[in-house]
Amino acid sequence: MKQVIELEINGEMQELMVEPYDSLLRTLREYAGLTGSKRGCDSGGCGCCTVLVDGKAVYSCMTMVMSTQGKKITTVEGLATDGRLDPLQQSFIDAGAVQCGYCTCGILMASKQLLQDNPHPGDEEIRKGISGNLCRCTGYQKIVDAIRHAAESR
Amino acid sequence: MTELNVIGKSVARPDAFDKVTGGRHYPVNISMPGMLHTKILRSPFPHARIVAIDTSAAEQLPGVKAVLTPKDVPQRPFTPVYFVPVESKSMVLDFVIMSDTVRWVGQPVAAVAATSIDIAEAALELIDVEYEELPAVFDPEEAMRDGAPQLHEHAGNNIAKNPSLSIGDLEAGFAEADHIFEGVYQTQRVHTCYMEPRVCVVDSDSSGRLTVHSSMQHAFGLREKLAFALGLPESRVNVIKPPYIGGGFGGKLDLGFIEPIAALLSLKTGRPVRAEQTRGEDFISTARHPIKVFLKTGVKKDGTFTARYIKSILDTGAHATHGSEVIMVHGLYGAFFPWKCPNQAWEGFTVYTNNMIGGGYRGYGAPQGCFPIESQNDEICEALGLDPIEFRLKNTHREGDPHPVLEGHTLSSYRLDECLRRGAERIGFDQRKKAGSSPGSIKKGIGFACHPLWVSGCVGFPDIYEHAGAMVKLNRDASADIISSCVDIGSGQTTMLCQMVAEELGLDIESVRVVYADTDTAPFDAPTHASRATYSAGLATKAAAVDARKKLFRVAAIVMEANPEDLEIENGNIMVRGAPDSSVPMADIIARAESPFIQVGEQGPFATTLEEKGTIIGSASMSPPTNPSPAAAEFVELEVDTDSGEVKILRVVYAHDIGRLIHPNSAEGQVEGGFQQGMGYALMEHLQFDQETGACLSGDFLDYKIPTAVEMPAKIESIFIESNEISGPYGAKSMSEMCIIVPAPAIANAIYNAIGVRIRDLPITPEKILRALGKI
Repeated sequence: MKQVIELEINGEMQELMVEPYDSLLRTLREYAGLTGSKRGCDSGGCGCCTVLVDGKAVYSCMTMVMSTQGKKITTVEGLATDGRLDPLQQSFIDAGAVQCGYCTCGILMASKQLLQDNPHPGDEEIRKGISGNLCRCTGYQKIVDAIRHAAESR
Repeated sequence: MTELNVIGKSVARPDAFDKVTGGRHYPVNISMPGMLHTKILRSPFPHARIVAIDTSAAEQLPGVKAVLTPKDVPQRPFTPVYFVPVESKSMVLDFVIMSDTVRWVGQPVAAVAATSIDIAEAALELIDVEYEELPAVFDPEEAMRDGAPQLHEHAGNNIAKNPSLSIGDLEAGFAEADHIFEGVYQTQRVHTCYMEPRVCVVDSDSSGRLTVHSSMQHAFGLREKLAFALGLPESRVNVIKPPYIGGGFGGKLDLGFIEPIAALLSLKTGRPVRAEQTRGEDFISTARHPIKVFLKTGVKKDGTFTARYIKSILDTGAHATHGSEVIMVHGLYGAFFPWKCPNQAWEGFTVYTNNMIGGGYRGYGAPQGCFPIESQNDEICEALGLDPIEFRLKNTHREGDPHPVLEGHTLSSYRLDECLRRGAERIGFDQRKKAGSSPGSIKKGIGFACHPLWVSGCVGFPDIYEHAGAMVKLNRDASADIISSCVDIGSGQTTMLCQMVAEELGLDIESVRVVYADTDTAPFDAPTHASRATYSAGLATKAAAVDARKKLFRVAAIVMEANPEDLEIENGNIMVRGAPDSSVPMADIIARAESPFIQVGEQGPFATTLEEKGTIIGSASMSPPTNPSPAAAEFVELEVDTDSGEVKILRVVYAHDIGRLIHPNSAEGQVEGGFQQGMGYALMEHLQFDQETGACLSGDFLDYKIPTAVEMPAKIESIFIESNEISGPYGAKSMSEMCIIVPAPAIANAIYNAIGVRIRDLPITPEKILRALGKI
């Protein structure tokens, strides 16, 4: 049976009708209209669905929506502030880190947490920080460049 | 080469902003009011006859709107492969959407459309299928034996196709040889791992006309195959070109099951129907075919080939589909023609088994040829003490040689020698140590591989579409819209088309965009595959821009009272050549062409000319003139931990004759991404199946391992050689498949150099390395 819950998504409280067994990913994509988080595998294997819950990067496909009540959820749609791109987003454009782009939103969110925890990571730390996210187009090199540039520009 | 304004610059990709802010326009995000959701019931048996299907309980479940079984589906066989005609005589026509005979675990046997995915899933459980199991065979060589279970009536010994090529006198060639080398090489089944699942939404209107959204690599191929599968005229199907898709790599190059199933359910219900595959379904939908290659080569002492015999056995799975063509490309461009040998024979077998159906995958048969041949080439050099680079150059083509496959064409730009020499120099190949001589338990090795022959599209291939088309429309704000059905699968096709139009029209890149296109309104373009988009779609789009410019100059000549031949265009202005004072903004000319015949000025009405009126649209629809070959060599430095068997790639240098660089950053991206896929192929990826039940054992990313950022080398260095291909747009030829053809043999050769033991089957896992070293 569907029920109404309240979630804080990108700084706004939203009332949503969910099934108690729904994942956060399904809730975001199908009920909240936020399609930036992508479904790539639905089993915690690809990272396309990565979002922040209370600042921590999680696979939203493996997160039960009921467990996120009372927490701050940030999706890629919440990265830009006042119409300005987050430095990470701009770096991804500038470095050519985006090809098909399907993994991009998830990797941006994983990188967001990485730079919050470690503002000046080395390349190996960057690689480790995004190792829960798969990309099939880029070989990760320009993604690593983008994250390094974003860190340097802060 | 002349410096150009936009070509050769790494301009910002027009799709990047959208993709970093949420990527709203993937087919996976399409949703429509009243849309139903589909789930497919799949066979648990590898080979069986369906005796009966009872769907009555499923139909009664609230929310279920329609159920589909094989009796609802047209049974005329065809090929679902997008790039050939649907009943192409060069393909084996054995495919229908649903059949009463199942031949692989996962074959669709029924489908449900319901108001939610959860209801559709629940309904599948209520469908009762009675099967009569049949004996199954999973190994292609077993399948070829007399008495093996037969999959299709038309194919004795399960051989779907048996092409061959030969030249000279093989026996005499081997007799002439000083040394003969023999080896058996095996490649495995791997998945393209596009990140966006195969997904579609199909809607039907009251007249039964279909509108299709799908994550695919070819709008016109989808229209043709879907119409045929449903028994409809093509014009009853309109396929919307997605602005972008979440990757393809050849894995979305055929009609899936989901599009026709969603279409039939939409026609039944009169509602839009969405179908999205799970990752597990994606893993059994498409794969690079495993090919076993038997390779025997005769050489003179100095390394000259005297004879080569190649036999290739391809496991096509339950249907021939891509396996009909992969074997040909493998034979022609992967095995027989890349190397010069006066006495040569190749025989290919496309063999049915009760495995999943193979698909398209970047390289399309060439990786399965390059790995054995470049491995054996290394073995020959090692045994005879030959310089491996000179050996390659001795036995392959030169710039200006006749094209080895296409009669009457030449290799007009071809710099394999430069790829090899510059790559070797950059990595320090002359410092390479003797195989297995590295001290300690962690052993370093350097290796390389090259591929001497590949394509820029499909001109010259029997029955493969190649022509491309585009329209370029000029707007009154001095911007240009491109209407093209060339699908951007991630590698930057949209950016490339914009660059070419901007270059021809003297515009900046921001003033050019690729706009909406569908099969109703856009000209035909062949798929985004076969390394063809820059060369083929690029040539056509450039021609459309030239046509638009010609029309623009015709109007400008009237307004400026000049000769159209004397006009030129720069930074959005048109001027008489050599007379900058004559400059008129392009926007004024376009506006004048679209303005009323009699205009009202400050002095009152005045007439313009009728000849200048009309929207300025350029168009082109054409075949490229030839099929130039790129060339590439890749050098890899790595270390092997001989205690754990693990391989760590330290450094990669890739050199490629690209003709001309259009977008340097994107070209590097192709090399880097291609290496990720090639490294996975070499070291870890393997789509595995239970050999008794036929069930997939690696149907998610936890069991099917692809390289993450951590396993990838710290740096992949690209060297681009601009040989200026005369037939190509601005001198360009192809790029993206070579990058995946060469990594596996380069890595295999470097592993040999590290440990001194040769491994001839992929992937080269730690277990195989330890076994080869006699440690387990």
